[in-house]
Amino acid sequence: MPDPRPDLPAATETDGGNDVGAVIEPVVCVACGCLCDDLVLTTNGDRILAIEPRCERAEAWFLEVRPDESNLALALIDGRRATLAEAATRSAELLAVARAPQILGLGGSTNQAVAAAVQLADLIGAVVDPASGPAVARNVALARTGRVSATLGEVKNRADVVVFWGADPVRTHPRHWERYSVLPAGRFVPQGRTGRTVIVVDDRRTATAEQADHFVEIDRTREFEAFWTLRALVKGLDVDPDRVRRNTGLALEHLRRLAGLLRAARYGALFHAPPGDSATLPETAAVTEAANGLVRELNRHTRFVILGIGEPGNPSGAQAVLAWQTGFPASVDLAAGFPESLPGVTSAADRLKRGEADVALVVGAAGRALLDEAPGRPAAIVIGPPATSGATSQEVAVLCHAAIPGLEEAGTVMRADGVALPLRPVRRSRFPTEREWLDAIHDAVLRGETP
Amino acid sequence: MIVPRTLRIAGGRLVDPANGIHDEVRDVWIEGGRVIDPPADPDAKTARTIDARGSVVMPGGVDVHSHIAGSKVNAARMLRPEERRGPGAVWPRKRAFRSGTSGSVPSSFVTGYQYAGLGYTTAVDAAIPPLGARQAHLEFANTPVIDKAMLVLMGNHHAILDRVRGGSEEQLRQAVAWLLDCAGGYGVKLVNPGGVEQWKQGKARLATWDDRVAHFDVTPRQIALGLARAAEQLGLPHPVHMHGMNLGLPGNWATTLEGMKAVEGHRVHLAHVQFHSYGGSPDQTGDFDSQVGPLVDYVNTNANVSVDVGQVVFGETTSMTADGGVAQYLANVTGRKWLSLDVEQEDGCGVVPITYEDRNSVHALQWAIGLEWFLRVDDPWRVALSTDHPNGGSFLSYPQIIALLMDRGLRVEMLGRLPQRVRERSPLGYLSREYSLSEIAIITRAGPARMLGLHRKGHLGPGADADVAIYAPDDDRRRMFALPRYVIKAGEVVVDDGELRSAPDGRTLLAGCEVDPAGSAELDRWLRQEATVHPAHFRLDRDEIARPEVVISRPGCGVSSKG
Repeated sequence: MPDPRPDLPAATETDGGNDVGAVIEPVVCVACGCLCDDLVLTTNGDRILAIEPRCERAEAWFLEVRPDESNLALALIDGRRATLAEAATRSAELLAVARAPQILGLGGSTNQAVAAAVQLADLIGAVVDPASGPAVARNVALARTGRVSATLGEVKNRADVVVFWGADPVRTHPRHWERYSVLPAGRFVPQGRTGRTVIVVDDRRTATAEQADHFVEIDRTREFEAFWTLRALVKGLDVDPDRVRRNTGLALEHLRRLAGLLRAARYGALFHAPPGDSATLPETAAVTEAANGLVRELNRHTRFVILGIGEPGNPSGAQAVLAWQTGFPASVDLAAGFPESLPGVTSAADRLKRGEADVALVVGAAGRALLDEAPGRPAAIVIGPPATSGATSQEVAVLCHAAIPGLEEAGTVMRADGVALPLRPVRRSRFPTEREWLDAIHDAVLRGETP
Repeated sequence: MIVPRTLRIAGGRLVDPANGIHDEVRDVWIEGGRVIDPPADPDAKTARTIDARGSVVMPGGVDVHSHIAGSKVNAARMLRPEERRGPGAVWPRKRAFRSGTSGSVPSSFVTGYQYAGLGYTTAVDAAIPPLGARQAHLEFANTPVIDKAMLVLMGNHHAILDRVRGGSEEQLRQAVAWLLDCAGGYGVKLVNPGGVEQWKQGKARLATWDDRVAHFDVTPRQIALGLARAAEQLGLPHPVHMHGMNLGLPGNWATTLEGMKAVEGHRVHLAHVQFHSYGGSPDQTGDFDSQVGPLVDYVNTNANVSVDVGQVVFGETTSMTADGGVAQYLANVTGRKWLSLDVEQEDGCGVVPITYEDRNSVHALQWAIGLEWFLRVDDPWRVALSTDHPNGGSFLSYPQIIALLMDRGLRVEMLGRLPQRVRERSPLGYLSREYSLSEIAIITRAGPARMLGLHRKGHLGPGADADVAIYAPDDDRRRMFALPRYVIKAGEVVVDDGELRSAPDGRTLLAGCEVDPAGSAELDRWLRQEATVHPAHFRLDRDEIARPEVVISRPGCGVSSKG
């Protein structure tokens, strides 16, 4: 895979030869699921001084002051300082003898780092499973019945009805409204905000609901029933009000009015965030499938699309890379020498919980928590930014300090709508990138196989 | 003396129709990835000699229309995990080869291995939206052995429609060049021009070339003509590649004929023409029949037109198209799962599983209509073998199609097993033509290479890319073409004595064309307003493209020049 934008971008001097005030633009921000790609950064050497436009999430991400890392080793083996080669070799030794190795995390990793992880997993016969949150349920639902979706620019240019269902972008995705979904004037929505009907469906009056035109309060444990009832209403079927109230907790009239708003759309967009942690994968998949089914039904009457609200980092990219390299987007088990995937059975999280892993390679900040719950204490290899190397109940056999994707590592990432964007490093790191670590371990395994 | 880095293919039956060689015993000499003249010294030794005596030696296959990468293909992989389980669907890891899965939409590495395993060394993905180009190039980089190129979807692009309506030819040309340049593309693709935009707006389907696209106030005819001109004026190696209107609809033959006339006087390639050759009417599907006749008459008398067939083969596959409306129609008819993705400013994308059944008279007629096309185009240089992979079936079924084209008896036997209605409504049973080896070489490599303007491919004259397939003659043509003895890619032996032995990276072929900086700057500003992606990110850096190679058009490399 070619290495996109391997070099630091050309910084434009704006301050008479002084390093202060160098401007880097446009920059992609992975701090939230928006993946805005239009940021302008003002830097002084490796320090970022300011960001345009204003965004609290981007500021927290780019302006975070890091502790002094100049004394940190590149790597630690059983707590002792090690070189890149030593750490890679030790990792390779552990992985080569592992009977059930796992590669997990990868939530913020670039597509190129994920590709390197899949290549390594293929070589050693590991499970590779990016931490992809609601995306797993989305995949399961997609594989059952499909999905009618769009890129975010279609929402910007066409959507006259925008529904946030369980999503609260005003709080979690600060620029979602202004860039994509509500405020911009689009080709078919020249009036911008006033040209759109904004509907929030949630279990409480969120910040987003405060700014919406309509708010429907629902019990999110019963949204499966709500979606199916809406689908029936959109289809024009008779439904029994008592049953509807019993199953959804809502008066039929509320749902009928909502169904009417959806059907009246010229081009509707439903941003659906599935219910949170308490739901199981089958439950979340069923809810997502019900939402997809409602949107498919709406397309018999008008145009309507369903989108994810998006997660920080690069979970969509990780899935895409897995899908094209192996055929499956997540939970890929390569132990048999070829890819197999059965979400819930081959998932890294489930296998760890069942004690079915003896060596775990964790890439990035996400995924560490899973190790703490794992019985049998698999040997852990961690590749990640120094901030993740802090205390944990899990002893780490090999700790590899890595540059931070989105700040210090080049590559590509993917929005939740499938649009791929290039990342450029905006500051230098003393540490190898995740991809370099994964490639080094891969090469060390190969060397071990052929002495 | 031994000449290093040379390879001699000795004593084979050379089939190289582009150079007028039709099954003659000749040696092929290769050095540094190219075919060279035989050395003057008849006793010159080579690094390696392949004994090809008795075998058929052809250029590597070239697929002019396939779907192997990008968001639609990857979405299809995600949509269909059920196809990738079980022993026939997996590709185990072997040293130097990656593992993967197949099904109708194989994983990227397997795509490269399987094409190479058939003796194909070049494939064109025929439908990449510019916004999806970055992902498609990443997948290309993970698709080994074969050289790849992409056709860029433009027939519903807002910048194009705006310029067709209100701009000059110069501005339209600039927009085409800008899109090709940003995407790292090879050619211009139209899919139901204007019709996808119309569907995205939720408006009534465009049925004729003179219907008007809502809001943009242009007709499909104007779009097709404008892009055909622009592709010519820019001197692109491949002419406009057109998927016309009303794909798959009974009665669509009339709009297909009208579409060819709409671009009369310009070079055009018609994609998967089988899907556009139906009689009957949308409301009277019982009248469905073959209307290849009037279309092939036009093609036979108009040298500006080339076609690929989009042959249907019986079995399970996955349909994928940039025409979101057609996918919705298909999903509603079949009741199967439906994936759709509208791409901002650009196009649609729809994916639906489909099973072509030989007991189904419509499917069986589609099968017959495809074969009829191959057998009724007089000049094989203007018809290319394709299944519109995976739409009509996998590219893995090419050997089966070749066998049918070479053997009338096989066709009659197949036809006899199909519903009576097929024999009544298709003239296939009366067509006695049988393809020769040379003609097979034309429709699978020499012709597609010429249509694409790939002057170093599709032949084995000095200077040609050393992409070679060597087949052991076999009365069972299907077996012969499914299992080449040797495949050589850029001079490297990748299939050696029937075994895939290595998988070097292929190249990415780009069209060389002039980009106007001022015009591009204006389009960048437009994009900044309309899209959600910064123009600097819309445009791919050259180093995001795997082993790029720019192809410059050669005058006179036209589709109509006979070999």
